[in-house]
Amino acid sequence: MKTKVKATFLFCFFLLLSCLYANSQQEESTTLSSNSDAKIKVTPEQKEKYHLKPVHAQLYFDCIFCHEGQGNNPENFEAPDEEVCLACHKSKLYLAKRLEFMDTLKANPHNSVHDGPNLYCDECHREHEPSVNMCSECHLKEIKNNIWMKATP
Amino acid sequence: MANVSRRNFFKIGAVGAGMIALGSTAANADTKKVKYDEEYDVVIIGSGFAALSAAITSAEKGNKVVIVEKMGRIGGNSVINGGLLAVVHSPKQKAEGVQDSVELYMKDSMKAGRNINHPELLKVIATRSNDALNLVQKCGAKFYDKLSHLGGHSVPRTYLSANGSGSGIVIPMFNYLKKMPNVTIKRRTKFEEFILDDTGSVVGILAKEKYRFDSKLKDDDRENKTGKEKYYKAKKGVVMASGGFSRDIFYRKQQDPRISDDADSTNQPGATAGALLKAFEVGAVPVHVSWIQFGPWACPDEKGFGAASNFNINATFRYGISVNAKTGKRYMNELADRRTRATAMFKLVNDNKNYPINICDQTAVDNIIPELAEKALKAGVVKKYNTIEDLAAAYGIPLKELKETIKQYNNYVKAGKDPDFGKPVDKADGVQIAKAPFYGTKGVPKLHHTMGGLKINTKAQVISTKTKEPIPGLYAAGEITGGTHGASRLGSCSIPDCLVFGMIAGENI
Ligand SMILES: Cc1cc2nc3c(=O)[nH]c(=O)nc-3n(C[C@H](O)[C@H](O)[C@H](O)COP(=O)(O)OP(=O)(O)OC[C@H]3O[C@@H](n4cnc5c(N)ncnc54)[C@H](O)[C@@H]3O)c2cc1C
Repeated sequence: MKTKVKATFLFCFFLLLSCLYANSQQEESTTLSSNSDAKIKVTPEQKEKYHLKPVHAQLYFDCIFCHEGQGNNPENFEAPDEEVCLACHKSKLYLAKRLEFMDTLKANPHNSVHDGPNLYCDECHREHEPSVNMCSECHLKEIKNNIWMKATP
Repeated sequence: MANVSRRNFFKIGAVGAGMIALGSTAANADTKKVKYDEEYDVVIIGSGFAALSAAITSAEKGNKVVIVEKMGRIGGNSVINGGLLAVVHSPKQKAEGVQDSVELYMKDSMKAGRNINHPELLKVIATRSNDALNLVQKCGAKFYDKLSHLGGHSVPRTYLSANGSGSGIVIPMFNYLKKMPNVTIKRRTKFEEFILDDTGSVVGILAKEKYRFDSKLKDDDRENKTGKEKYYKAKKGVVMASGGFSRDIFYRKQQDPRISDDADSTNQPGATAGALLKAFEVGAVPVHVSWIQFGPWACPDEKGFGAASNFNINATFRYGISVNAKTGKRYMNELADRRTRATAMFKLVNDNKNYPINICDQTAVDNIIPELAEKALKAGVVKKYNTIEDLAAAYGIPLKELKETIKQYNNYVKAGKDPDFGKPVDKADGVQIAKAPFYGTKGVPKLHHTMGGLKINTKAQVISTKTKEPIPGLYAAGEITGGTHGASRLGSCSIPDCLVFGMIAGENI
């Protein structure tokens, strides 16, 4: 029960935080667009093809928020380095600490027994396609049977 | 150029960019025309135990070193490994009063390896295992207080990393290297080709940066077209430390046609043969490549090593039985060596996926670390039944036969002798299959270790088929090498193998 309350609290807290982020970051992305990458045109079809995860979509991220400095042809965009993710999400150790409540059986994916904080974010988290859980390579059953963390956001 | 397939590369190189003359292998490349993107003294392929120890010893001598790892993850099989490390004449052996010797280590390994091991390599490992232990402790690796005594070893000589995983050794080594200014670690960077000079020396590699391994491909080494080509110069040498090939569907089947395409392995998905085959292309001597080890303790209801393996190792095999689901009868000595058991199990599995059922009772479970059973039950790969009737019904085992088998086995335990298969039931602490609830789990052997690989000498130099001498500039260490373990590797003997020869490669470059 206690964990549930805690989880709900954290969730609300996170929503609040994301609103704050949304504001500051939108400003930033407008400036970006008006500078170097001003000519980038993203068609509605491209937006549909590379749709964002709900949490990022809610924040009205445009493409160059993550694909900054990658030219002006969206077809050539590459997966950004993890520094881009961590610009908002701070560090893996920070995430590990924050998500500690999920880690039944001490399986903390952001600071795990096997990898410490060394895994790239996109080993599991994918922006434009369904995420995967890398731990399931060996620990499929623990995840399926909900004795570990839930589906990867 | 980014997406040009490797097969087209040399052609395009000659006609288009004019960097490399037309040729069928890197051996024919005109190295004078290769434009290097980066220069190092030592290029190391892989990032497991062997690679990391080679990097440390060579970088500490002042060399400029690059580690090239094709996966996003550092550590290959080493980072998911069980953390068991055999050391001869170790401080813990002294503390526990264990009498050990290099000769005894060699004898134990030769026995498991059916005497086809290369003794000169074994001797080096045994003699220098303490140095390897010191190396990883210097990096900050911690170990459990007491030694373990593993099957096939005459005396306790196995250290267990404090977190119960190879990562307890890999992460400290990785952190140690990250602090060295002359070391670069590149992930998602794949070794593709050797660059040889006119004399046949290895002088560099072609790599692909921003490479993304794709587990969905049947043959990643051949089909994957991601990544940007880059040339790295290796002024002093290249170390192959790219591990085994248990997850290479094509190559493992060439070595043992009984291995079906969907046969599971305990290894990480990147354990493929591509790098090994490149070394064969430049003339390395292949050794024991078809000796592939299966872990007989795994379960088909989960992927990889999973939760059932440890349950079987500790409970069902030691204190219980394994039966043919169709007949309800035992079919092997549940405590034979890995090779013998896997062969017996495959006879059943190959008969229409007739997975054997491993069975034990509550007394057995009371005898093991509780977490092992808890984890396997929660994962749903081991199931609990109130009666033998329920268990038999769940797996479709003929009840009368199963009851008969259990009765007979219990008598063998009482008598301390198994006339059917020679299982050492005298060491089963008198545990029979009698006390409810009963535990059942499906069994299957999974590919675990590839004993074969490149022939190296005691200096970790790769030997050439043509000259019978070292290929200049080419070194190898770890599971990519062959010969050390012969036909079957003893538990906890791979880590010292990787660490020692990695260390030696670094020392000799
Ligand atoms: C689940 C499990 C448990 C084990 N437990 C034990 C134990 O307790 N004790 C013991 O002694 N042994 C154990 N072993 C065996 C041991 O872990 C391995 O033999 C050992 O880790 C091999 O180390 P390595 O450095 O040779 O290769 P690895 O650690 O496998 O590293 C090789 C690396 O090279 C990379 N690579 C491959 N090809 C390329 C390429 N073309 N370009 C760039 N990189 C490439 C791979 O992706 C991989 O990361 C275990 C194995 C497994 C799978």
